[in-house]
Amino acid sequence: MKLEKTKTVSEGNLRDWGASYWEKSSPTKRKAIATSLIGLAALAPFMGFGLLDTPVSDYGAVLVYPVGMFILMALGLNIVVGKSGLLDLGYVAFFAIGAYTMAILGTRTSLNTWQIMPIGIALAMLAGLILGLPALRLRGDYLAIVTLGFGEIVRISALNTREIGGPNGIANVPVPPSIGPIKFSLNDQKAFFWVVLIMILLTIWMIRRLSVRRAGRAWEAIRQDEDVAELMGVHTLKYKLWSFSIGAAVGGAAGVLYASKTLFIAPEMFTLNVSILILACVVFGGMGNIWGVVLGASILAYLPERIRFISDARLLVFGLALVITMNFRPDGLLPRKKREKAIVKSAVGDKK
Amino acid sequence: MTSVLLVYFVMAAAISVLAIKEDRLQKSFIWQGNSGEDGSRKVLLELQDLTIKFGGVTALNAVNLKIYQGEILALIGPNGAGKTTVFNVVTGVYRATSGQVLLNNQSLSGMKRHHITKIGIARTFQNIRLFGDMTALENVITATDVHKGSGLLGGLFGTPRARREEKAGRAKAHEILEFIGIDEYSDRLARNLPYGVQRRLEIARALGTNPQLILLDEPAAGFNPAEKVELAKTITRIRDAGYTVLLIEHDMSLIMGISDRVAVLDFGQKVADDLPSVVQNDKRVVEAYLGVPADAS
Repeated sequence: MKLEKTKTVSEGNLRDWGASYWEKSSPTKRKAIATSLIGLAALAPFMGFGLLDTPVSDYGAVLVYPVGMFILMALGLNIVVGKSGLLDLGYVAFFAIGAYTMAILGTRTSLNTWQIMPIGIALAMLAGLILGLPALRLRGDYLAIVTLGFGEIVRISALNTREIGGPNGIANVPVPPSIGPIKFSLNDQKAFFWVVLIMILLTIWMIRRLSVRRAGRAWEAIRQDEDVAELMGVHTLKYKLWSFSIGAAVGGAAGVLYASKTLFIAPEMFTLNVSILILACVVFGGMGNIWGVVLGASILAYLPERIRFISDARLLVFGLALVITMNFRPDGLLPRKKREKAIVKSAVGDKK
Repeated sequence: MTSVLLVYFVMAAAISVLAIKEDRLQKSFIWQGNSGEDGSRKVLLELQDLTIKFGGVTALNAVNLKIYQGEILALIGPNGAGKTTVFNVVTGVYRATSGQVLLNNQSLSGMKRHHITKIGIARTFQNIRLFGDMTALENVITATDVHKGSGLLGGLFGTPRARREEKAGRAKAHEILEFIGIDEYSDRLARNLPYGVQRRLEIARALGTNPQLILLDEPAAGFNPAEKVELAKTITRIRDAGYTVLLIEHDMSLIMGISDRVAVLDFGQKVADDLPSVVQNDKRVVEAYLGVPADAS
């Protein structure tokens, strides 16, 4: 039996290679890798030259929206779709709720972005609970349709409520106050990018933490076989609600920052297209795998901006690239874990 | 005066009814006695007049069955007799049309499935239903989670309690895998495991919920004779470790070898419930399996 274990070496999958490299590294090496990766990401706003630059759009702005925001939202949606296997087509609703919370409170009260952030997150979570309680009794396609409806309800309600601007939206949303020497302005969006980066890192930390604990196992069990999960004592409704509201919280946080960044929001920014694009990021990158989702979202957000110079043809090229990739890698660019810990263990054993 | 008489009359009637009930209880008590020394045993699970109908089909018809603490009760019967339906009602998958299931004299009607698991009933599945993308160990840890007090937030912020429980759950899961004899596979993904190991992992996962009663649905399906012998030993060890086992099986030699009692279902009705040796020679059981001889009817 011991022999059998060592024989099953990974099939040269990039994800597996990265993960085994990580697990084989010593704690100090891991810290070094993590710090340098974060440092590299933090320096991204300064890399807007040469091949990386976006010819038509402003590179700094592209990094914040769509790239940063998409990564953040895709990570949030990944908890719902990738981890727990609940197909949510109305994710944009939580983004909208966060954005509207920021816009309304920002223009009518003296609260600043950082003070509104927790309120926006709380309201998005609440919306997640309100949607989840009835909707999570449904499964699969039915759940998808209800969540799709919810996304549209939120958008159409915003469109028809004159108090919050109706179709005109809300203008003059304040930018966040400066933190020390770091100032937030539309002309130089580095500060926004760093805030998004911090939010992304927090989300990754949260997901990684939960994945190896009770909640992560519950989600994983629900995704694989909900009936069996329940018969093995998993309180499925509770954990599905948690999954929904944590996903919503991330979406809400992204929304608050987005409103504070664009200074103007309107219902047409929160269409079904956004939900589907975020879902595409998750599926394209690799459902359930954090690094896959990050990679998928970066590519899907960045690519259309990079090829903006071919104007109308860009969506065609983009769609074609999507179809081809999904044909060759149906599980996404970096699929979820397929390897077994034993491989790494024996590999470490060999080294000694 | 008449009112006093009436009161006396009602009381007398009540007492006699109770006495008759008591008598019936006593009788069943004595009758159970012939299956061994379990006259002194505690009833763990009781099915009372359990009936379940799917549309016009009666899957179970007024089934009464008692399972005593610490025994192996085998549930046998031809295909479609309602054996798995019993499991599904006990674990809360189906709702009984009438009658009820009692665990330690507590009714399970209306209870949520995960709650039934929590108070002590776990099961395996006829067609293996493991969490394939998890390792064997994770499968069992997921089951041990049912008794943890710390939830999502505890895990997120790494409270001392969550850490302690996480560690304890892992140790417990290893212990169970060791007990079932498959600990060497603990880090393998469940879906990559050999068939026999998967079947045993199902049992390990059920034990992970720390049940009082474990329901095994055809655990020997697809096993060769040697594996069946091994399984029989495992089931006996599970019983000896203090669990009560309700077993659905088709392999007669396995059943006759390890069960303390055998209950037979046929067309949703219980036709026998006794010691293995008695059941084996029961006319109705033979008829249920082989049919009624032509000249007898």
